[in-house]
Amino acid sequence: MSKNNGKGDKCENDFPQPARKQTFSEMIYDPRDGSFFGRTGKSWGQLFLFYVIFYIILAILFAICMQGLLASVDDYKPKWQLEESLIGTNPGLGFRPLSEQTERGSVIEFDNKKPAEIEYWTGLLDDFLKDYKQTEGRKMKHCDYNQSRNPNDVCVVDENQFGPCSSANGYGYRVGKPCIFLKLNKIYGWVPEIYDTPALNMPDDLQHLFNQTSEVERQKIWISCNGHYGKDKEQFQNISYYPSQGIPTYYYPYLNQPGYLSPIVAVQFNSPPIGSMLDVECRAWAKNIIYSGSIRDRMGSVTFQFLMD
Amino acid sequence: MSVQLTRADSYRVATVIATDDDNRTADGHFKSRRKMPAKAAKKENLDDLKQELDIDHHKISPEDLYQRFQTHPENGLSHAKAKENLERDGPNALTPPKQTPEWVKFCKNLFGGFAMLLWIGAILCFVAYSIQATTSEEPADDNLYLGIVLSAVVIVTGIFSYYQESKSSKIMESFKNMVPQFATVIREGEKLTLRAEDLVLGDVVEVKFGDRIPADIRIIEARNFKVDNSSLTGESEPQSRGAEFTHENPLETKNLAFFSTNAVEGTAKGVVISCGDHTVMGRIAGLASGLDTGETPIAKEIHHFIHLITGVAVFLGVTFFVIAFILGYHWLDAVIFLIGIIVANVPEGLLATVTVCLTLTAKRMASKNCLVKNLEAVETLGSTSTICSDKTGTLTQNRMTVAHMWFDNQIIEADTTEDQSGVQYDRTSPGFKALSRIATLCNRAEFKGGQDGVPILKKEVSGDASEAALLKCMELALGDVMNIRKRNRKIAEVPFNSTNKYQVSIHETEDTNDPRYLLVMKGAPERILERCSTIFINGKEKVLDEEMKEAFNNAYMELGGLGERVLGFCDFMLPSDKYPTGYKFNTDDINFPIDNLRFVGLMSMIDPPRAAVPDAVAKCRSAGIKVIMVTGDHPITAKAIAKSVGIISEGNETIEDIAQRLNIPVSEVNPREAKAAVVHGAELRDVSSDQLDEILRYHTEIVFARTSPQQKLIIVEGCQRMGAIVAVTGDGVNDSPALKKADIGVAMGIAGSDVSKQAADMILLDDNFASIVTGVEEGRLIFDNLKKSIAYTLTSNIPEISPFLAFILCDIPLPLGTVTILCIDLGTDMVPAISLAYEHAEADIMKRPPRDPFNDKLVNSRLISMAYGQIGMIQAAAGFFVYFVIMAENGFLPMKLFGIRKMWDSKAVNDLTDSYGQEWTYRDRKTLEYTCHTAFFISIVVVQWADLIICKTRRNSIFHQGMRNWALNFGLVFETVLAAFLSYCPGMDKGLRMYPLKLVWWFPAIPFMLAIFVYDETRRFYLRRNPGGWLEQETYY
Repeated sequence: MSKNNGKGDKCENDFPQPARKQTFSEMIYDPRDGSFFGRTGKSWGQLFLFYVIFYIILAILFAICMQGLLASVDDYKPKWQLEESLIGTNPGLGFRPLSEQTERGSVIEFDNKKPAEIEYWTGLLDDFLKDYKQTEGRKMKHCDYNQSRNPNDVCVVDENQFGPCSSANGYGYRVGKPCIFLKLNKIYGWVPEIYDTPALNMPDDLQHLFNQTSEVERQKIWISCNGHYGKDKEQFQNISYYPSQGIPTYYYPYLNQPGYLSPIVAVQFNSPPIGSMLDVECRAWAKNIIYSGSIRDRMGSVTFQFLMD
Repeated sequence: MSVQLTRADSYRVATVIATDDDNRTADGHFKSRRKMPAKAAKKENLDDLKQELDIDHHKISPEDLYQRFQTHPENGLSHAKAKENLERDGPNALTPPKQTPEWVKFCKNLFGGFAMLLWIGAILCFVAYSIQATTSEEPADDNLYLGIVLSAVVIVTGIFSYYQESKSSKIMESFKNMVPQFATVIREGEKLTLRAEDLVLGDVVEVKFGDRIPADIRIIEARNFKVDNSSLTGESEPQSRGAEFTHENPLETKNLAFFSTNAVEGTAKGVVISCGDHTVMGRIAGLASGLDTGETPIAKEIHHFIHLITGVAVFLGVTFFVIAFILGYHWLDAVIFLIGIIVANVPEGLLATVTVCLTLTAKRMASKNCLVKNLEAVETLGSTSTICSDKTGTLTQNRMTVAHMWFDNQIIEADTTEDQSGVQYDRTSPGFKALSRIATLCNRAEFKGGQDGVPILKKEVSGDASEAALLKCMELALGDVMNIRKRNRKIAEVPFNSTNKYQVSIHETEDTNDPRYLLVMKGAPERILERCSTIFINGKEKVLDEEMKEAFNNAYMELGGLGERVLGFCDFMLPSDKYPTGYKFNTDDINFPIDNLRFVGLMSMIDPPRAAVPDAVAKCRSAGIKVIMVTGDHPITAKAIAKSVGIISEGNETIEDIAQRLNIPVSEVNPREAKAAVVHGAELRDVSSDQLDEILRYHTEIVFARTSPQQKLIIVEGCQRMGAIVAVTGDGVNDSPALKKADIGVAMGIAGSDVSKQAADMILLDDNFASIVTGVEEGRLIFDNLKKSIAYTLTSNIPEISPFLAFILCDIPLPLGTVTILCIDLGTDMVPAISLAYEHAEADIMKRPPRDPFNDKLVNSRLISMAYGQIGMIQAAAGFFVYFVIMAENGFLPMKLFGIRKMWDSKAVNDLTDSYGQEWTYRDRKTLEYTCHTAFFISIVVVQWADLIICKTRRNSIFHQGMRNWALNFGLVFETVLAAFLSYCPGMDKGLRMYPLKLVWWFPAIPFMLAIFVYDETRRFYLRRNPGGWLEQETYY
């Protein structure tokens, strides 16, 4: 222990002592060493520089990875499709008008004596149907059941076939017979498998309609709407579908064709209940559309609420 | 007080301080364990104590005593009176130290630490759910579900820590003496055997050897009665007790025997004069339990850390709650964000991890003979900067051993090795033969039976310690001692007594042709020399002249200076004419010569240091730990042992040494020049605390000799005032205040009393100082490893928080859900974090100074900077990349995601359009989102692989450290398997909303994993290359 031999050696067993308590102002700026929040300007600068460089490098790495990702995905068709993709092979239904205010949920509520409220919904529908009206400049084809079709062709969805639900009629809102537009979700490459015979769980009227339809025109995805719960079912009556109660299969498959328009069905409520909420469930019928009505797991269908005062 | 204190003096010093409350600490912290209103009763309480010290039970005549207690020496108490007394005074037992009720402990675990934050989260969940439930017809059950999960997490981790805690506290129960003590009592003239608890004041009890004294008693009858007061005073010599009143001081008078000391010889009858907590022992135990111990360093560290994390969580949570409001979110959504941020911020599994790590270390220490009573003490031991150690039994073997012999005018080192490999002397020399003959014959010690296989040095011996040492030495040197004694039959014997200071026996010799009797004598060297006229040197009997006396004195001084106990030996062949065969030797009225004998030699004994102790002390020294010896032994002995174990290192002098060398008076020596100091207990009594501080500060090597166990408390406080973290060893009941006061009290497993074990934080199962050092090493290792473990765990906080922030600020679908966060914190991160506890030290941790408890924090800003600012950020980048990959490959290109959140989360929107025009139902979107959560989770697991590997070392390269920690390797496999299980097990989509991933989605995180590894290896490379540089200052945690 040579270090103990020297005279006046600083004694080696100084135990660590607690640091001097800092006042609050010293914590922010300590004049003794000119430090802000415990560091001098230089020290802050070094740390800042270190982190700037670190994050730039990290950002470059991230950017390279993102570039690789973007290079690996196609602009026109999704990398994973149908059952490979999480979207699956079971399209759901969508409805319009749908409020942009998501907190309104799926409730369509208006007072048919207040034009402003009516206009809110018809305005939404105008926006939705804008694409359908502007057909100029699009390469579209009037398709029919019997025609053979090139998969890249885009079939016309004729806005004029909606009858009383046309925009000229204000979609029936002004006369208290509002229309809801239904559409089947687009899934890249999805092709419906139509029913040859009515499905057993189809509502009676749909089965009836099915049987009345000619074989050729049965090539459609049937649509049916009904009250969601018991009380809604009682109030649910006098419905019309335009152009027909289904979507012809010639619109499929959807292949992200330029100008493709989703086929739509207008549902008119000719005598909706006044002043009470009508909970409607609509579903699409095809062999490869699986239905589930549970809250968490809704499939092949859509619900919305309808309240007219 | 004179420098030469007697044993009795130190005894008095000990007990007076214990009971007389002028002691500062005791004064400051004394709390009675009797029920009294805390503050008002304090003064009264102290008076009460002093008053009790002034008992006169030992002074008054026996008749007055019987009168006072209404008892009778023959008949004892009446049953009615005994019952009355019992009801009045309660049972005769020490009140166990006040224990926190179990339910309070449980609640502490349930609501302490992070639990409060999580409870708030859970309550917010339930509130959010109930609001949703009342306002909406079909409420989303997410919040209910999360609330339940959070509550379950808190409860489960709470139960877990409670279980761990109670398990370690159960260790103590194994030390409690479960066998009830019984006492023989006379009541109404009948002898009864009662449980000791049922004794009352005035009971007449009978005690015999082997019993434990059941209460403080006044002895009224005694036959050859001796007590061992070592558990009270540390004094191991039995003291005789009788009926006579010999001293004013109750603690020194012969007619009192104290509760919980042991009767070693004889029988006695006595009257119980105080019971339970009122006994001397009870008061010391009370003093110990009343001392404030304060928080352990690791508890401080953990609190510091919890405050830090809680602060961050609350700050972020509230900030984003406000931001969410400003951004126009619904308040319920804002609450849900708050919950998410809290959950992401709190490392739910960390406290459990810390507990498990400490438990593992505690187990490892237990296997190395350090039994840790309270888990936190594991680390305290690691921060220890001063060890105050006992000498006897801790530094030494507590086994007297012959160290040197002096015969033929030379000092010879005795060989005490079992195989006699180190023999330095000629066994056939007449000098040795004569000396060994005396040592063999003039010796009453015998080996106890049934120890055939035991090495001689470890055999148990009945008899006095010095005689046992001689017996063992002779057994080793000569072989079968008993056989030699048989051949040299003992005819007569005068046993050792304190007035004569010698022991004589007369034997027939084994030489059948020689009819003479042999007289052998041993005793205090100067007394023996007085009785000799000749000296046996080199086979010749010479006249004992001045020259020889000078030689004797030199040898005696030299051996005494080594701190050894020296005995002188002489013999004499009785002439056969005066003492023919069959001569009747009378030992009471001595009828044979005991003067003009032949001096043969000296033998000196010492309690030698334990073999591992010098190394352990050296290790402490290199580890910057100051070792202070505190002993009740004589300064010379203490100093000798201190020198031989290295507590006083070679070349270091005390003031006295310097004075001797320079030949000046002690007072002229500058105390600063002496590095070493031997402080006498008597001096210590007179020094102020400032002077004590000076002693502790200016001497690096200190030995406190002749100290009472009570002075230990003062020494401990002195060290603590200097800022040291002090470990103290102790075994006596009187040590318990010091044990309690010390940062870590170390009780002796073999020699320790129950009260000391109760007061201690740790118990040395083998009583060995070296075990403490092993404990220190383990403690330091676990501190390092806890740092690594925390760094590892905290890192994943950033990839957990950032998704929430992005969700709120960028309006993207949530990349990582709360349930998945819990899966990381409580699932995949747990085993790897715990496995870091098994990591080997990077460098020799016993070559660096002890941790600076004020600056070297468990969690410091550098650790946070590394975990949060650097590695965590890379991890978050990995998670987001995977998220973008999955979104893009399914149709949502990155740019599409920004601002989509509202539509995405709206149930009404059943047809959200992606970048390819596909329309997603709510259900499909959520499946996609949860798949992203799962993938984000998996990617965190992937980057945590690299994080785990880099956390193995703080300075070294992993290539240097290796991957030999199999627990950690298992951890890597475990987290991967668990992650795969959570993702792929059927049913997980319903239970935890985890979905199976495509194999390719495991890979996007890999570049980031490599980046972490490469970055940190590079960082550590520069750290090593440029020690003390900027990088070390900023990133070495």
